Amino acid sequence: MEIDIVTFGKITEIIPNGMMSFSGLTDTDQLKATLEQRYPELAGMKYKLALNKTLVQENKPVIEGAVIAIMPPFSGG
Amino acid sequence: MSERYSRQLVLQGFGVRSQNKLSKASILVIGAGGLGCPALQYFTGVGIGRIGIVDGDHVSLSNLHRQVLFNTADIGKLKTEVAFQKLTAANPETIIETFPFAIKADNCLDLLENYDVILDCSDNFGTRYLLNDACALLNKPLIFAAVSAWEGQIAVFDNNENGLRTNYRDLFPNQPGSHEIPNCEENGVIGVLPGVIGTMQAAEAIKLITGIRKPLINQLLNYNLLDQSIYIIDILPAPAGSYELPADRIEFSTRRYQEISAGTDSDIIEINVEEMHDLINKGSTIVIDVREIHERPSLSTKHIQVPMSAFDSSLPDEINEPNIVLVCQHGIRSLAAAEKLRSKYHGQKNIYSLAGGIARWYGQL
Repeated sequence: MEIDIVTFGKITEIIPNGMMSFSGLTDTDQLKATLEQRYPELAGMKYKLALNKTLVQENKPVIEGAVIAIMPPFSGG
Repeated sequence: MSERYSRQLVLQGFGVRSQNKLSKASILVIGAGGLGCPALQYFTGVGIGRIGIVDGDHVSLSNLHRQVLFNTADIGKLKTEVAFQKLTAANPETIIETFPFAIKADNCLDLLENYDVILDCSDNFGTRYLLNDACALLNKPLIFAAVSAWEGQIAVFDNNENGLRTNYRDLFPNQPGSHEIPNCEENGVIGVLPGVIGTMQAAEAIKLITGIRKPLINQLLNYNLLDQSIYIIDILPAPAGSYELPADRIEFSTRRYQEISAGTDSDIIEINVEEMHDLINKGSTIVIDVREIHERPSLSTKHIQVPMSAFDSSLPDEINEPNIVLVCQHGIRSLAAAEKLRSKYHGQKNIYSLAGGIARWYGQL
């Protein structure tokens, strides 16, 4: 399954932007676990996912072509 | 109505009604830095009735590339004082109120209560969570923005009682720890970025006050300066139990909103400049500047320099003084250094970090 990954801030340095292949996953919880396995640095960071431009607050189904944004908090001003 | 506002008065959908709403409105801007400077200038320009500015810092040379209200001759002056002069000169019809100190849990609610709209133009998570919780408690609209390197975030948390209600904790429930935050020097920012984002904050406030079109309520706008892209997501409330907002004033005042959270078992004490001088005068105290060699201004207080980039290797093998005071530019790296020393000395030393860093106590060090 191909998922479009959009990253922000420091996360862009860890995870590349663009289409990424996954197999055997069906929801955002599994996607999170897979991403943290592929990119262990992510597990130590604070971040939030958005699925098709809506914030993910509970486990949601993920289908082919979904757009997942991965956003860290910013503090600068 | 005055010629001053003639160009916006003729705007379709704006008119005298909008101008009256703006002239009756009051806005509190927390932080007269990269975000706050452009926002303050446009608020004054558009004719906001009353503007409050909260900032305890003094202007420094490294501010000038992004803090466009200040010039070279202002270095060392209080930001609020310079802002007052420049903004009052730009538009004497706008009342400017200044609060030259840091916002804290004990002064926050009283300050916020006197304003219609709150702008978070701060530069640290402690203040951001403090403002978020205070605005949620007081039902005050909060316009949040933050920047990092080439990117910015902006969101409007309306906090009115009607409809969907979200706040910053729905995005990030808990304050990040010090190890999760890039340090103040390392991260860097191009001056024009907070210029863009601070101007967007001003635009959102004007939309919110006049009721013209829809502000970014319950939305997070991500901006990337390098490709001029905007990515807006809808914010939904987090499931119950994800976080707890203070239920009332008493609970709010007893919460700890540190500039960064230094861990739960912290025995690091954050001190102000007077407490630092008291320690030095008592003797048996060493001051360690953890900034990089090229950073300015230099400290006139007696100290040793142990840059954070080579902290472990440059730290003297033996420190005889029982009291160690760590300082950096904004008091963020010094807390991280204090944590390192805490694990090294296991309670054998009294470890202090200068809150707010050299930027806050400019001229007193």
